[in-house]
Amino acid sequence: MAEHVSVQVPLADEFVSVVRIIVSGVAERAKLAFEDMDDLQLAVERLLAEAGHEGQASLSFELGNGYVRTRIGPLHEHGLAEALQRLDRTPGQLTLAWVLDTVVDSYGVEETSGEGIVVRLEKLVEKSA
Amino acid sequence: MSQAAGSAMHAAEDRELLRRFHKEGDVRAREHLVARHLPLVRSLARRYAGRGEPLEDIEQVGAIGLLKAIDRFELEREVSLATYATPNVVGEIKRHFRDKGWAIRVPRALQELNARMSSTIERLTTRLGRSPSIAEMASELEVTPEEVLEALEVGSAYTTLSLSSGPGGEEDSDPLESIGEEDTNFERSENRASLEPALHHLPSREREILRMRFEEGLPQTQIAERVGLSQMHVSRLIRKSLAVMRDELA
Repeated sequence: MAEHVSVQVPLADEFVSVVRIIVSGVAERAKLAFEDMDDLQLAVERLLAEAGHEGQASLSFELGNGYVRTRIGPLHEHGLAEALQRLDRTPGQLTLAWVLDTVVDSYGVEETSGEGIVVRLEKLVEKSA
Repeated sequence: MSQAAGSAMHAAEDRELLRRFHKEGDVRAREHLVARHLPLVRSLARRYAGRGEPLEDIEQVGAIGLLKAIDRFELEREVSLATYATPNVVGEIKRHFRDKGWAIRVPRALQELNARMSSTIERLTTRLGRSPSIAEMASELEVTPEEVLEALEVGSAYTTLSLSSGPGGEEDSDPLESIGEEDTNFERSENRASLEPALHHLPSREREILRMRFEEGLPQTQIAERVGLSQMHVSRLIRKSLAVMRDELA
């Protein structure tokens, strides 16, 4: 059965390190390898960096059998959902979608209500780790 | 040739390179000067090793001091570049530590654990043939997983802090101060879609690391091998570069 961890985090820059510690703690419980933990931290960090600096967002983790699913939202920044759709892998160009596509196993926009979007990031746990 | 004669010749060659850089705008002369004086930077950086900061990071900061010294050197000066650069390099390193407040805010045990982390990851990666888990790192270091996470975060947080502190006056030690000025008048949504304009402003090593990570899809361990840095350092450079690129476009 999957286990769940949820926290509300301020979007202010000063809380980036707090978020990173939370992500690393969850990743450790999920037995992610160090490099995968680092990837997940980077994904969350980049996403939050695009979400503005005011207000709060919910950060929830689902620790399932062989995966960690992270949901972040609601995020209100205009254009973020569109930017996440643009997976244009043109050499020399680096997009947010490309970054996420590289560092997590899958990602997507789960909700697009008036409250803002919720982004899902999924990282698989290597069996050998 | 005597040591004194050798030093005099070295200083004369420096002076010629400085002249070519300052008078003729020869950037290769500047690169040559940097290469010639990197041993000095490494020697000075070693004095500050063991304070909870990877030596390679200190060297990088010291290299910024060297670049500043080269750029600010006035040809009319009667001193050698090495003499002029030394206080610049040391000053840059000291400012780096001061800005981080490392020694004040971080318990020594955590600093030491952070300093041991990089070699432990490399050792375990080689032994296991994959990236180690936190539990494996903790076991190897004979500490708890929580202590490993704390020590890792200490390194990441301070690195981010020093980068995101932004311009702090003319003495500001932004590692990417060589970034050129360019009008980045983009809409925010466009910026999210493409970080390309800022990509071109990164130093070539950082650009190459991003290319290997995101275009070739190489894991950090392989990138670390290719560029001769530790995995932790590669991780920090990726994080820094993306944050700086984002800030550039914001």
